[in-house]
Amino acid sequence: MIGLASYLVFFFSIVLILGIVALGLNLQWGYTGLFNAGIVGFYAIGAYTHAIVTSPAKAGMIANLGLPWAFGIAGAMVTTAFAAWLVGLVTIRLRGDYLAISTYGIAVSIQLVTLNLESLTGGPNGFPGIPRPLFTTLGSPALFNIFFLGVLVVVTGLVYWGLERILRSPWGRVLKAIREDETAAVALGKSALRFRLEAFVIGSTLMGLAGALYASYIGFVSPYDFVPILTFQIWAMVIVGGSGNNLGVLLGTLLVWAIWAASGVAVTKLVPAAYAAQGGALQVILIGLVLVLALLFRPRGLLGEAATVSRHAADD
Amino acid sequence: MKHLLTLAAVLAAGALTAPNQTSAQAVSCPVKIGGILPMTGSMAPITKKIAEAAQLALDHINQGGGIKGCPVELVLRDDQGQPTVGVDAAKYLVEVERVPAITGTISSGVTGPIISSITGPSKIVQISCCSTASAFTLDGRSGGYFFRTLPTSKTQAFATASEIARRGLKKTAIIYVNTDFGVDMTRFIKEALPKLGGEFVVEVPYTDNQPSYRAEVTKALAAKPESLMLVGFPKDAVTIVREWLSLGGSPKIALNNSMRVMDFVNGVGPKFLNESFGMDNAQVAGATVDAFNKAFAEKYKYDSNGPGVHTQYDALMVLGLAMNIAKDLTGPSIKDAVRQVHAAGGAQVGTGPDEFKKAVALIKEGKPIKYFGATGPIEFDANGDVTGPALVWKIADGQIVTDRVISIEEMQALFKKVE
Repeated sequence: MIGLASYLVFFFSIVLILGIVALGLNLQWGYTGLFNAGIVGFYAIGAYTHAIVTSPAKAGMIANLGLPWAFGIAGAMVTTAFAAWLVGLVTIRLRGDYLAISTYGIAVSIQLVTLNLESLTGGPNGFPGIPRPLFTTLGSPALFNIFFLGVLVVVTGLVYWGLERILRSPWGRVLKAIREDETAAVALGKSALRFRLEAFVIGSTLMGLAGALYASYIGFVSPYDFVPILTFQIWAMVIVGGSGNNLGVLLGTLLVWAIWAASGVAVTKLVPAAYAAQGGALQVILIGLVLVLALLFRPRGLLGEAATVSRHAADD
Repeated sequence: MKHLLTLAAVLAAGALTAPNQTSAQAVSCPVKIGGILPMTGSMAPITKKIAEAAQLALDHINQGGGIKGCPVELVLRDDQGQPTVGVDAAKYLVEVERVPAITGTISSGVTGPIISSITGPSKIVQISCCSTASAFTLDGRSGGYFFRTLPTSKTQAFATASEIARRGLKKTAIIYVNTDFGVDMTRFIKEALPKLGGEFVVEVPYTDNQPSYRAEVTKALAAKPESLMLVGFPKDAVTIVREWLSLGGSPKIALNNSMRVMDFVNGVGPKFLNESFGMDNAQVAGATVDAFNKAFAEKYKYDSNGPGVHTQYDALMVLGLAMNIAKDLTGPSIKDAVRQVHAAGGAQVGTGPDEFKKAVALIKEGKPIKYFGATGPIEFDANGDVTGPALVWKIADGQIVTDRVISIEEMQALFKKVE
């Protein structure tokens, strides 16, 4: 029983970390209509920045700073924001699939840089020994996991609250206007490019924040953490949950990651041990099946976007 | 009321004695071992045979008497080659399935986070068949709970360094490819060479697939070396060696295993390589290896050739033996027991169910054992790594021939000398 609880603490921590990434994507895609296929690139920048800022100096690593955890988180967000701004400057004019292809290419390039810039990232051997906040003070791994879950709940809560605030402001309404009809929004005097760039940078910064949290939770990152499949998992979470609805996206993250984990457990329980080697394929089929069913029965996601009507509409 | 008091007393007594009973018996059947392998994803083609080798080892353990009299179950999870999925699977195995030991996994990018966030902090023994990244064991972050049954690049590096010294090569320049393999090799050669009587004067990394390496070669030659150690891959190595020789570099060249192909020899021209030699991992031979190959072929109807197959079998057999030796099935006890699987002066035990049965009988009598597995003798060094035999090759009459074999015993002596 304690074991299950301890596993669930870990499980929900991963859900919240991925949930922050999904919230970032929801701002970009769900509200602004930006097809970002390079999620994993910004996640990687955040994770590696945090690793470099917080890890103590070590032979062969040129830039380790050994600063406290909070500096790592802040540094990761600033660096990711700057990187997203640079990427946004050159790509944000692109529409739909063109933006998707260019951001995808950038994410792959970032992963290759982490693989080859050995003195900075540890290269293919990975970046071990990233300090975990209060890990030694708390003494036991179980206590640390509970503490970190608390941190994640607070951070996710802040991100959620902040996003809800800005999306209900005039700024958020412009994003929706751009998504629905960019020409009309421009005709009303709004600079579509500026708003798109702002949404892109804020969303990507959240991805970087999640990357930093992941690095400081697991304590080890390597280029294999940042392969394109993660981008598509996040997309599945946003679409299953309901793009354009932050609560739905968090629910979608929980559901999709639960399917991923539970299908693995189901396979070990249901497939006879002698066929364990073949069971992996079954897991992938199971994941695909549940995702397809979710989309068939809830095409707008678990919680679709709430209909927005003028608050004066009821006055008649 | 009296009844209630009696009941309470009985319950209290039960509560007090219950933990003692369980710790005395220590084991509840069946014993579970966790397994994590990438059964889908890019590694899937090689993983099938590896998982089958694990299954075979499990059969042999069960037929040979299991662990502390209990049948053994392998709870095998798929990591899909993705770190987050692998870490989740490991956490589930450790917390919910309560496994005291895990075997896995293949990709270093998945093994690393599992050590760092699950098996290291939770004190769970982890034995990998296939992850080579040196960082896991070198800086001690696994807390001694991580082992692997495949020889790392260290084996080849130390063997090369000793051969350089044995042949009396002086002032060696190292040119190496800038990958995890090249970087690790160079680091270990640099560590070993001075201790064995050689010396290196300069190291120059190169990026693969360039049209010319004149800049790198010139830089290496500027240090006035009298011999060259080249770590890389054949296509670029042809270019490098040709430029090295044409710019006046010494023909005394040491090469790594990748260059043991005729494409390389003919590309450079065999007559230029008469003073060169190379290194490779030697095929392990012996009765215990043959027994494994035979058992595998009998069960699956095809041969056991392929990466990770032999080492995965050994990973699980070592766990099976260690968990029999351990006084209880907790991580720390099993960790200590892993080091007694190949005890000095122990009775030799090999692969297969009968040998396992023999080992269990010896352990019950309190006698030491010495395990010889599907990859030969399995002895872990201080870092939890194993060594393997190596062979020295050279070019004679335009052909690649074996010069001599460095046995695993010589290799282990060499490791002791360097470390």
